[in-house]
Amino acid sequence: MNALTQEAALRTLSYAEAIREAMALAMEADPTVILMGEDIGVYGGAFQVTLDLVDRFGPDRVMDTPISELGGAGVAVGAALTGLKPIFEFQFSDFAMLAMEQIVNQAAKLRYMLGGEASVPVVFRLPSGSGTGAAAQHSQSIEAWFGHVPGLKVLQPATPEDAKGMLLAALADPDPVMIFEHKLLYKTRGHVPAGHYLTPIGKALVRRAGSDLTIVAGSIMLHRALEAAEKLAADGISAEVIDLRSIRPIDRDTILASVRKTGRLMVVYEGVKAFGVGAEISAMVAESDAFDYLDAPILRLGAADAPVPYNPDLERASVPQVDTIEAAARRLARREV
Amino acid sequence: MPVEVILPKVDMDMTHGTLAVWHVAEGDSVAKGAALFDIETDKAAMEVEAPASGILRAVSARPGDRVAVGSVVAQIYAEGEVVSASAPLAPAASPADPAAASPVAAQAPAAPAPALALPAQAQSGLRATPAARAAARQAGLNLAEVPGSGPAGRIQRDDVAALLDRAAPVASPATWSPQTGPLHISHRKGQGTSLVMIHGFTADSQSWAPLERAMGPDRALIRIDLPCHGRSPRRRIRSFADLSRMLVEAFDAATRDVETVHLLGHSLGAALALSLADIRARRLASLAMLSPAGLGPEIDAPVLTGIARASRAESLAPWLRCLTANPDDISDDYVRAAMRSRADPALRAAQAEMAEVLFPDGVQVFDLRPALSRLTLPACMIWGRKDRIIPNRHALAADGECAIHLLTGAGHLPQIEAPDRVARILRRHLVAAEAPI
Repeated sequence: MNALTQEAALRTLSYAEAIREAMALAMEADPTVILMGEDIGVYGGAFQVTLDLVDRFGPDRVMDTPISELGGAGVAVGAALTGLKPIFEFQFSDFAMLAMEQIVNQAAKLRYMLGGEASVPVVFRLPSGSGTGAAAQHSQSIEAWFGHVPGLKVLQPATPEDAKGMLLAALADPDPVMIFEHKLLYKTRGHVPAGHYLTPIGKALVRRAGSDLTIVAGSIMLHRALEAAEKLAADGISAEVIDLRSIRPIDRDTILASVRKTGRLMVVYEGVKAFGVGAEISAMVAESDAFDYLDAPILRLGAADAPVPYNPDLERASVPQVDTIEAAARRLARREV
Repeated sequence: MPVEVILPKVDMDMTHGTLAVWHVAEGDSVAKGAALFDIETDKAAMEVEAPASGILRAVSARPGDRVAVGSVVAQIYAEGEVVSASAPLAPAASPADPAAASPVAAQAPAAPAPALALPAQAQSGLRATPAARAAARQAGLNLAEVPGSGPAGRIQRDDVAALLDRAAPVASPATWSPQTGPLHISHRKGQGTSLVMIHGFTADSQSWAPLERAMGPDRALIRIDLPCHGRSPRRRIRSFADLSRMLVEAFDAATRDVETVHLLGHSLGAALALSLADIRARRLASLAMLSPAGLGPEIDAPVLTGIARASRAESLAPWLRCLTANPDDISDDYVRAAMRSRADPALRAAQAEMAEVLFPDGVQVFDLRPALSRLTLPACMIWGRKDRIIPNRHALAADGECAIHLLTGAGHLPQIEAPDRVARILRRHLVAAEAPI
C-alpha cells in the first residue's frame, strides 16, 4: 500500500497474522487469557483471524459462543470480573450494538461502581469499516460511539505492528479495551517485531512530518491520508499526517503541537461525519491555546449522512477516499477554504 | 496623537500576561517613566512604566484580564489634547465621570470581564483567522488596515506578515540627530542592597525580565538603559571612554540615595560595569559579569552590526539566532517583536554608528584586562559554553579570586537562555558578598 507496509528487509506479517501472533503469545505466557466469540474455533473466525488457535490451545481456551452477542459479551465480562482475561471477538463491530448493556453499563462502569475493588480486564475485538460490499448493517464505523463512554479505552490500529502491540497493551491494561480492526486491513502486510512489546495506549504518532497542514486520521484512513500526502508533496504541499491510534484516551498534545506548527487542520475518519471523532478533535483544538494558531477553518472528512450503501460505487463514494482527501487538503493548503 | 500603552513582551516565549493592577486611575495624569501597571507572569509580577506623560484614557484591560502581548491596553493623551473621535476606544464622555469614561463599562455594562482584551476590530465583523488576529495583536497592528487575500477577503496570517514587511522601512538613513539628556534609569522597589543592571549592545532594560522573574521579587533593582538604547536619549559616542563616562554619571545619579550597591552587566554592559568598578570600587558590594566584552580583541562584529542595521524581520532573524546556543529559541514571532522595538531608523543608525566606534574592523578596541587585574571586589563571570559572539576563553584573563561559571547549553545570552541557573549563581554570589568574612 505504501512505505509503511512494504519494509521488505524486515520480518513482515499480515495485520490478521499480527493479531493472531499477539493472541498466541499472550496465551502461552498467561493461562488466564482465553478467546471467546462466534465461530472462532473450528471455523477460524469470520475473518480467519483466530484461524488455527483452537488446535494449539484447545476448545477450553478458544471458545465458540452461541449466536447471542449479549450473552457472549456478558460471559466475557463475568469471566473478566472473576479473574480471567478474555478476548471477545465480534463478527462485525456492528453487532456490538446487541451487547451495549454489557459493554457500556457493565464493563465500563463496574470499577467505578465497586469503588475500585474490582476491574474488568476484557478485550473486545471488533472488525469494522466499509469496502466489503456487506451493506448497511455490516459496514459501519461506530468507534466514536464508545469514545463517549468513560471507563472504556478505544483503539484503532492502522498497521500490523500496532495491531499486535495494541492487543498486547490491551491485555496488560486492567480495564476494558475495545480494538476496532479494519476489515480491509486484515490482509495488508507490514513489519512486525518478534516477541512481546506494547504499543502505548493513548499515544498518537506523526507518520509523516509536514508544515502546510495537519491531517489526523486513523485505521485505514491513515493509509489513504498518507497516499494523498504523497500526491500533495509532488505539488509542493507539505502535509503532516498523524495516526490517531487511540480515540479514547485521545492524544491531545500531539495534535495540538502539530496544529501550532501548521495552522491548518483536517480530520479524516470513516464514521458518519456528524457528531464523530472529527467533532471531538475540532472542538478540542478550538478550545485550546492552539486556537490562536489556526489560519483556516477546520475541515472534517467523514462518511455521508446515510447508511452505508450496498452498491459498490455508492459505498465507495460514501466514505473518504484518497482522491477526496487529496482534493480537500489541496483546498485547505491553497487557502480556498 | 495619543500614545498607545501596549502590553510588552518581556520574555522569549511569552504570548500573554495577566494585568495585575493599574497604578494610575483612568483620567489621572501620569509622568513618563512612572509605574503604570503590573503584569503577572508565571513566576512574578513586573512593573510596566508609562511610555509618555499625559492623561491615562481608554483603559481596555482590567485587573485579572489575560492580555496578548502587543495588545493596546490604554492610551495616554497629552494634557489638553482633544480626545480623538477616530481613536476606537476613546471615550466621548467627560473624564470626570470614570464609569462613563471606561469603554468597557460603556459597551457592556453587565457583561463579565472578558477573558481576553480584544482590540476593537474583533467585534467589527472583519473576517480574519485566529492566527491572523494573534499576529496582528502581537505586532500591535489594526486588522482593519490589512487587506485579506483569503476566501471572501478573509485576512490570513500571511497577509499580516506581508503588511508588516511592507511597513518596515527599507533602509536606514545614513544620518541621525544626536540628542541630549540623562540616561534612562528605572527602579524596582525591594529589599537589601540594590542590584544595578547594565544591559548589552542592542538590548534594553526589558531584556532583564526573564532573569528578574527567576530571581524573585525581593531584591531592589536599578536598571540603566545605555545611550541609543531603550528609553535613553540617542547621545553620540566617540569612544568607549566617552560611553563609560556617561555610565558613571548615570550610576551616580541612580545610586545617590544608597551607600553601596551590587553591579551586574551583560556583554558591553559587563565591560562598562567593570570600568565602573575600577573607579567606583568603594560604592560597590560586588560585581557580576555575564559574557563580558573588553577582555580580548575577538568579537563576532558582523552579528552585532547585522543586528544594529537590520531593517526587517528577515534580515534580523539570522543574526538574532547567532546569539543563543539553540537557534530555535528565537521564534519568528520573537524576531518580529524585536524588529518592532527597533522600528525607529534613527535608533538603528545610532546603534550602527556605535558599533563602528566600539568594534572598528571587528575588533574590541577597549581593553579592560588592566581593570580586571586591579579588581578586589567579590566578582564572578557567567559565560555560555556556546557563546559565538565573544569567545569564553577571554574569562581566563581573570585571576584566581574571580569565580568563573561556564554554562552548558547557553550561548551569548545566559540570562535569557538559562535564567534559573543564572539566578541561582547570582543569588549565591550576592549572599556571599553580603556575608561578613
